[in-house]
Amino acid sequence: MASISIRNLTKRYGNFTVIPDLNLEIADHEFVVFVGPSGCGKSTLLRIIAGLEPISGGDLYIGDKRVNGVQAAQRDIAMVFQDYALYPHMRVYDNMSFALELRGTPKAEIDARVKRAAALLHIEPYLDRKPKELSGGQRQRVAMGRAIVRNPKAFLFDEPLSNLDAKLRGQVRAEIKALSQQLKTTMVFVTHDQIEAMTMADRIVVLQSGTIQQYDTPETVYERPANQFVAGFIGSPAMNFFAVEWREERAILSQGGNAVPLDGETAGRLRQAGNAVIGIRPEHFAVAADAADGIAINVKLVEPLGSDTLIHFDLAGASSIARVDPALRPKVGDRLTLRPQPGKTHLFDSTNGQVLR
Amino acid sequence: MNDAVNTDRWIRWLNTVQLVIAGVLIMAPTIWMVLSSFKPSFEVTAYPPTLMFSPTLENYAELTRTTPFLSYALNSLIVTVGSTALGLLFGIPAAFAVSWTRITWPAILTLAARMAPGTLFLLPWYVMFRQIGMIGSYTALILSHAVITLPIVIWVLLPSFDAIPRSVFEAAQVDGCSVTRILWRIAIPLVASGVAVSAILAFVFSWNYFLFALVLSNGDTKTLIAAAFNFIGEGSTQWGALMAAATLIALPPLVLAALVQRWLVSGLTLGAVKG
Repeated sequence: MASISIRNLTKRYGNFTVIPDLNLEIADHEFVVFVGPSGCGKSTLLRIIAGLEPISGGDLYIGDKRVNGVQAAQRDIAMVFQDYALYPHMRVYDNMSFALELRGTPKAEIDARVKRAAALLHIEPYLDRKPKELSGGQRQRVAMGRAIVRNPKAFLFDEPLSNLDAKLRGQVRAEIKALSQQLKTTMVFVTHDQIEAMTMADRIVVLQSGTIQQYDTPETVYERPANQFVAGFIGSPAMNFFAVEWREERAILSQGGNAVPLDGETAGRLRQAGNAVIGIRPEHFAVAADAADGIAINVKLVEPLGSDTLIHFDLAGASSIARVDPALRPKVGDRLTLRPQPGKTHLFDSTNGQVLR
Repeated sequence: MNDAVNTDRWIRWLNTVQLVIAGVLIMAPTIWMVLSSFKPSFEVTAYPPTLMFSPTLENYAELTRTTPFLSYALNSLIVTVGSTALGLLFGIPAAFAVSWTRITWPAILTLAARMAPGTLFLLPWYVMFRQIGMIGSYTALILSHAVITLPIVIWVLLPSFDAIPRSVFEAAQVDGCSVTRILWRIAIPLVASGVAVSAILAFVFSWNYFLFALVLSNGDTKTLIAAAFNFIGEGSTQWGALMAAATLIALPPLVLAALVQRWLVSGLTLGAVKG
């Protein structure tokens, strides 16, 4: 078990810089999720930690040891790959025992560790099978078992759930989270799925173009996004954004001219900035009874989800979404008045997207 | 609808005709060779050729009487097994290294060497081996035949190694394997049928290769195929004995290919499709 420390790390492929200058501290026993869109550098960063990619500049520490030039084999970390990467010619048992055998662990101990991990992951009946005889979910468990038996300093997961169907994904997600609480080992998990990030992480690293946009707890990343990119990336459906100006002592949408009712603190910040981008999450709209209390919209599309209902509408030239009470039973063409819930709106600088606080 | 059925039937018929023509072209000389080896010597070159004749072992008796056939067979075996082993010893790691590093020029270089006419190597090798006193040695023959076996091993195995997902090797790295151990414990077991196929092909090509043995061997190390050439004389050619020798020479590769036929086909297409 160990902390991971990344200092001024850069990664280049020829003239192309994937990670310009990155600093990150992952505490011992922490479950950290790297999340971001395709090409943001999250998998590269994970592979650098694993020792599968060389570092172009900066330092990487696992525990107290600087591991820049240390080969993957010597880093004592375990990794679960997107395609599981099981050894096709070995039985499940041998897949799990292979790393221990390489380290010269006594046979009795190998057997005990493999059986303990197999019991933990409910794969005991499959120990004599080859990977091709297993389902996707079972292979996924074997891949995790292979990592667990080693009792490594850290676990790395590279989008391990992306090949599973939706139901199994939810189940394995919960299992990994439970496992992390049982094993108390440092875990780094890469995903492009913000739901996985939110549900599993102690802390989330939101990446874009090889740069950390925000590194914080899921709650903070959701409630207090550092910039417009994070605000738009975390949360499903995504946050709605509208350009807004402070005119005649009111917040007015730049396009369409509707007045947006804001709480005092947010209004104060907008007054100071003059103009900004306002961000409102779909779940932070309230339906107002009086048309004068909010923004009038026409319902364009209705998506009933059971627990709540999503309504789509056009506002200020943007296709927008609000999450409303299903008891409202909205229909296409209905005219509703929406108002942002007080204290739940976010203001971003129109030029650089940074949050205005 | 009827047109489609008719077209389909035509295509099948054409396929059959093509296969029959190809079969006749390939098999006719082989059948001729085997039949001729059992014909009395005066009938071997008779025209028109006879299909009905009283078979005789006279040519085989002549072959063993006039040449130390078994000793030549042993020479062939030593050279072929040696050069196949050498091809595998260097070809397997070479193919793996090319696949791992994606640096392909060494593989292309070996292919170019294989495609070059054998005569290109003859003079330099003859001079070189003579200088170090190795003309007529098994070592010279084995080394020269490695030019045949090495490219075969590399090029048969390359797609097989390429077909293994990269992440499997990376998982082995993270598990604590060195590159050598990855080759030995992970890569080779996964391309076992490819290794078998490359070994068989290398064996067959080396066994049948004539030119190097003709120049670099001596009376003690002459291979079967070079020895068979002795039956072609300036004045007359002993066709019967030559056909008997050719039949016996063709036997080991044929038996080998027949034994592993199923593997051979799957091994040759190995790596073509990722499973």
